[in-house]
Amino acid sequence: MKYAFLVAWREYAENAKTRGFWIGLFMFPVIIFLSVSVSVLLEKKGTPVRHYVLVDQSGIFAAVIESRLEQLTPRPMPGAPASKAPQRPFQPASLPAMIDTNADLASLSRDLKPYLRREKRLQANGRDVDLYAAILIPRDIEKQIVRPRAKPGGKTASTNGIEYWSANLADTRLRDEIEQAVNGEIRRREYLARGMDSAAIREVEQTRAPFASLNPSKEAGQEAVSGADILRQWAPSGFVYLLWVAIFGISQMLLNNIIEEKSNRIIEVLLSSVTPGELMTGKLLGIAAIGLTMVGVWMAALFGVLTWKSGGGPDFAGPLLLALKTSKLIPMFVIYFLLGYVMYAAFILALGSVCNTIKEAQNYMAVVTMVMIVPMLTMPFIPKDPNGTLARVLSWIPIYTPFTMMNRVNADPPLVDLIGTMLLLLASAAAALWMAGKIFRIGILRTGQPPKIVEMLRWLKG
Amino acid sequence: MNTNPPADAPPLQLRNVTKFYGDFKAVDDVSFTLAAGSICGFLGPNGAGKTTTLRMILEIIQPTRGLITVLGRPSALEVRQRIGYLPEEKGLYKKMKTWSVIAYFAALKGLTRKAARQRAFELLERYGLKDFAAKPTEALSKGMSQKVQMLASIAHDPELVILDEPFVGLDPVNQQVMEDIIRDMAARQRTILFSTHVMQHAERLCERILLIAKGKMIFDGTIAEAKRTLPRRVRIETDDDIGPLRQLSGVISVAPVETARGAAGPNDSAHWELQIGENADPQAILQLCFAKGIRLRGFNQSDPTLHEVFMRLVGPEAREAAFR
Repeated sequence: MKYAFLVAWREYAENAKTRGFWIGLFMFPVIIFLSVSVSVLLEKKGTPVRHYVLVDQSGIFAAVIESRLEQLTPRPMPGAPASKAPQRPFQPASLPAMIDTNADLASLSRDLKPYLRREKRLQANGRDVDLYAAILIPRDIEKQIVRPRAKPGGKTASTNGIEYWSANLADTRLRDEIEQAVNGEIRRREYLARGMDSAAIREVEQTRAPFASLNPSKEAGQEAVSGADILRQWAPSGFVYLLWVAIFGISQMLLNNIIEEKSNRIIEVLLSSVTPGELMTGKLLGIAAIGLTMVGVWMAALFGVLTWKSGGGPDFAGPLLLALKTSKLIPMFVIYFLLGYVMYAAFILALGSVCNTIKEAQNYMAVVTMVMIVPMLTMPFIPKDPNGTLARVLSWIPIYTPFTMMNRVNADPPLVDLIGTMLLLLASAAAALWMAGKIFRIGILRTGQPPKIVEMLRWLKG
Repeated sequence: MNTNPPADAPPLQLRNVTKFYGDFKAVDDVSFTLAAGSICGFLGPNGAGKTTTLRMILEIIQPTRGLITVLGRPSALEVRQRIGYLPEEKGLYKKMKTWSVIAYFAALKGLTRKAARQRAFELLERYGLKDFAAKPTEALSKGMSQKVQMLASIAHDPELVILDEPFVGLDPVNQQVMEDIIRDMAARQRTILFSTHVMQHAERLCERILLIAKGKMIFDGTIAEAKRTLPRRVRIETDDDIGPLRQLSGVISVAPVETARGAAGPNDSAHWELQIGENADPQAILQLCFAKGIRLRGFNQSDPTLHEVFMRLVGPEAREAAFR
């Protein structure tokens, strides 16, 4: 075992010097930090102010639209320190004097296009701004209102109804706000026209029954589902992703390492000093230590950033920290990481031992990657039905057990699933290691074409 | 565990060792014993079974049949701290520092990490590589890398050193350094077995050679004994008729010698080689030349070279096999 530890130490020391290791080590904390800090920053800074022009030839909707957009101005949090006055996210811009607001919509839109394409700029609050959107309401909009059971209106000057012009198709907030404001006003007018009390109707529309989400697994009196509970349900998915990245990343490291020794012909000198078993164990331990270091740093970074940001940071920091502290996520992550690693490392060791170059190994890795992609594809569905058929079936397939069970950890899976799959995983990992040992012993000294599957099966029997 | 061999145990002994790869017999009933402190050359054409034999000695692969005793033990792994090995296919960890590679292999052979590090620097300094100690091995030239590999294989001062083609790829200066390293070790009573294709190295270094072809041991003995397997020869240079020499007792054969000018016909050559029997006297040839008025431009008596011995013992069949 002394020699296995020596091999492990070299594996650890040499891999810890690689750029890939350090990128892997720091990438995750940086992502965590950025995702927390950027959301805080966005909250503080708010979204960028966007400018629009509204031409309401009907004269009906300008006021309600203005009033609705005014209501979007963020209000300062109670007790928050006084900072810059909050700004309206959507602000009106002045139309250039040469544009005739009484012209037909086709002419208006033609005149506005250079501004919408940002070829020209408009004035707003005394400075040049880009035009984000133009809302054109035709004079005859009332004739175009669509009513159930009513025949379509006669021929009108404009057939598009209200025209919303914008080059940004992804952000529909302004369009949605305006549509709701206009439709609200139209309905208010309809109520009036039909002799109905619109204020009474609004009151009726606001009546509701209280609705509470309760979790039967929680203690009596504390069954109400909080934000932390929802996070607890979804947090395992994040850990599945981490598990996948960690196992896949260090498996690649292991593969590169074996191929290097094989292609550089170092393996023969090693095998004159250590047994194939010691060499394999050393590699397995060394790379596992690299993985544990990486995972340890990731966990420390996650806790660090969440603890730092949980007071006064984004809304999810505190509940997520609580969810991590009060669940089995971390210990289960470490257990499934180690068992999953051993399982996949066994395949990689066998694969690396029979390949002479990275190129040869990549052909086989494509198959391994396809097999490994399944937990990623099923990851979003497991938390929705953590004890359903899909989750249970995948849990009992040893190569998917770590990922699926990790995803189910916070959903209290049946004990038979928890213990049974763990035992099966342990047995499968041991069997995979045994088989890998048999193939490694012969494959590592082999040169030339990689063996066929039948040949490898013969090695297993021998 | 006590790994000390019995006092009279030879450092290496092979008895009837055979290795099959499927139906192919790579090594066929090979037996030999090495004496302590000797340098032994292991010669043979490509594919003769040299590397397979060396790998079996080191227990990297198992023989199909036969017994191997290394430093008095049936398993080389039991005494791995006392064996040094330089394989035929050479390579180093590219990103590791030079000293670190030597120290790592020395540690794998039982040295403490501190002692291994100290030994690595000591060897690098002794063999002129001190300035490269802290450089990654990928910065070394091919010759330097090979020297570093050699140093890594002997850093733990092994009693038995097995070198598979140690001279391949080295320039004459580095070949000389490698020879010096081998002689140094032998001077300290280390036993060395090395395989080579270059007969000059074997001739210069070995007391004894083992010759293997098509998996079979075809010669085991000293260099002198090897040379005695071929008749002695006399080379003469003359334009006269050498017919009378063919009748002389002790002369086995007379043949024209191919020179740089090309092959000559049987009667127009100036260069001739006479093979003579073990007890024949070369002086008798000289006397007959004077007596018969054969005017000599050159007369040279020499033993056959190891290369010639090798070519003859290996035989055309094995030579063809080596090229396949």
